[in-house]
Amino acid sequence: MTADTGTGTGTSTGTTTAILRVESGKRIRGSVGLVVIFVLLSALYFSMFPSLSEEMEAIEQAFPAFFFELFGIEALHTIEGFIAAEIYAFFWVILVGIYFAYVGAGLIAADIDDRKMDLTLSNPISRESVVLQKVAALWVPLVVLNVGVATIVYVGALVIGESFDPVALAMVHLLSVPYLLVCAGIGLVLSVIVDRPRTARAAALTLVFVLWVVDAVSGLDPDFEWIGAATPSRYYDETAILVHEEYAIADAGILLAVFLLLVAIAVVVFTRRDI
Amino acid sequence: MRTQTDADEPAVETESATEAESTRESPVIRIDGLTKRYGDVTANDDVTFDVYSGEIFGYLGPNGAGKTTTIRLLLGLIKPTAGTAEVLGADIRDRRALTEAKSAVGYLPDTLGFEERLTGRQVLDYFARMRGDERRAELLDLFHPPLEKPVETYSHGNKRMLGIVQAFMHDPDLIILDEPTSGLDPLKQDRMHAFLEAERDAGKTIFFSSHVLSEVQRICDRVGIIREGGLVALEDIDDLLKRSGKQVRVQLAEPVDEAAFVTEEMIDVETVDRTVRFTYTGESSALLEHLVEFEIEDVDIGDPQLDDIFKHYYGDDTSSEGG
Repeated sequence: MTADTGTGTGTSTGTTTAILRVESGKRIRGSVGLVVIFVLLSALYFSMFPSLSEEMEAIEQAFPAFFFELFGIEALHTIEGFIAAEIYAFFWVILVGIYFAYVGAGLIAADIDDRKMDLTLSNPISRESVVLQKVAALWVPLVVLNVGVATIVYVGALVIGESFDPVALAMVHLLSVPYLLVCAGIGLVLSVIVDRPRTARAAALTLVFVLWVVDAVSGLDPDFEWIGAATPSRYYDETAILVHEEYAIADAGILLAVFLLLVAIAVVVFTRRDI
Repeated sequence: MRTQTDADEPAVETESATEAESTRESPVIRIDGLTKRYGDVTANDDVTFDVYSGEIFGYLGPNGAGKTTTIRLLLGLIKPTAGTAEVLGADIRDRRALTEAKSAVGYLPDTLGFEERLTGRQVLDYFARMRGDERRAELLDLFHPPLEKPVETYSHGNKRMLGIVQAFMHDPDLIILDEPTSGLDPLKQDRMHAFLEAERDAGKTIFFSSHVLSEVQRICDRVGIIREGGLVALEDIDDLLKRSGKQVRVQLAEPVDEAAFVTEEMIDVETVDRTVRFTYTGESSALLEHLVEFEIEDVDIGDPQLDDIFKHYYGDDTSSEGG
């Protein structure tokens, strides 16, 4: 992802990276905080797994099937199925997705609200560059969370005497990147449209959550499954990746394209509006 | 490029303001019919004036008159409803040209939005990466915000000093200051005024908004007065000084004999027993010479309020527009 828009103003690298540097620094605290949450969750689930795995098949039969379909859960008695269900289907897709939507929604609206944007735009820097550098700073949570959580899950499995296929584990993270970027993109578009940062953030995380619910519920009935095609989580299936080692590269490509479209919309709106 | 013509100007050569005014070539800021409406509210109404190289231009008006709106239009932060302006030769409607021109513009906003968790030094580093900081050390000798502390711990005055340093440190040709001395203690205000005069003498152009008449009187060469979005006056500061006068309150030892006391330079005279209030439009020394002829217990001479000036010289018809 390039931070320079080539407007002719970025003659030095400083102009093209100053915002990227500061924004990257601002993302560290939240990213590390989320990794700590995943450490705690993983400790909980990994310590539960050995005693639960034997009962899992009974549990799978005890609950009605739609409960598992709702979360896309399969093969709970295996470590892959269990972690896919407990860590990825819920916490990764929803919690991290909402975090990206929240961060995206603050990128522009918060700076306009506290007048930081006035000073930023008094510099010889284009509005396109401001948006793109802020988006590029999402590399921090993407790297910190993906590397951190993948390591925690891999080591956690080894500790309890299980093991993950490292390729499948890497793919469950890699293919989630476009999904998380779409969540950030939804926030970003709201951030350039909505004036108040609190409203933008609330709208973004509500929207991401509602889209996930629509995907989950529509998946229960084949007649309504098509509705979920408009939700980002439909294009990221953690259970398929971890349990069946199916890597939907094309779906990830669709998410990436949507993300780029959302960024383009945000840039166009932001360059035309008053701040 | 039109912006290049400014580099040809004798920026380093020390020239007095009057010389600069006599060589009025292309203006540094050219505002032409600039209008900004928000729904029914007209924040700027057909504002037209020029600011020339090497002058301190005071943009004077009460709070809410539309000063900040003009400044934000000049910086391209908001778009005009009608009319336009040029800043260093760049049309404000031409985003790309304006962005380039901003490398020679310094800006001190009325509300300073810094990245609060960064230290003062990190904030300056941030702006330095975008436009340079060749004068940072020199400015930090004059204005010293606590550089090692996070900005969130700064007092209002410290934030303002950090804002001043960032506005000037890349040695811009044009500096736009929105209420620059608000929050500074009197000593720092004096230092700021002296600094601005030195910058003007070095050929810089300073656009200075304020709602404080005395401040504008002290350091500005020319002044534009805005009220309710419209420019109501544009004149040399000396003319304004003559028009504005002083607010005087005199307490005499005996009841006032109006016929003997009041001169024709006194207007709006109000007499209550031994106290006289009036606006004096003549020379201060003449007033003092006049006063010593009376037995006086107390004298209070101050600047008139902007509202009074409007009342006396520009009419008090609040619905008047343009002027």
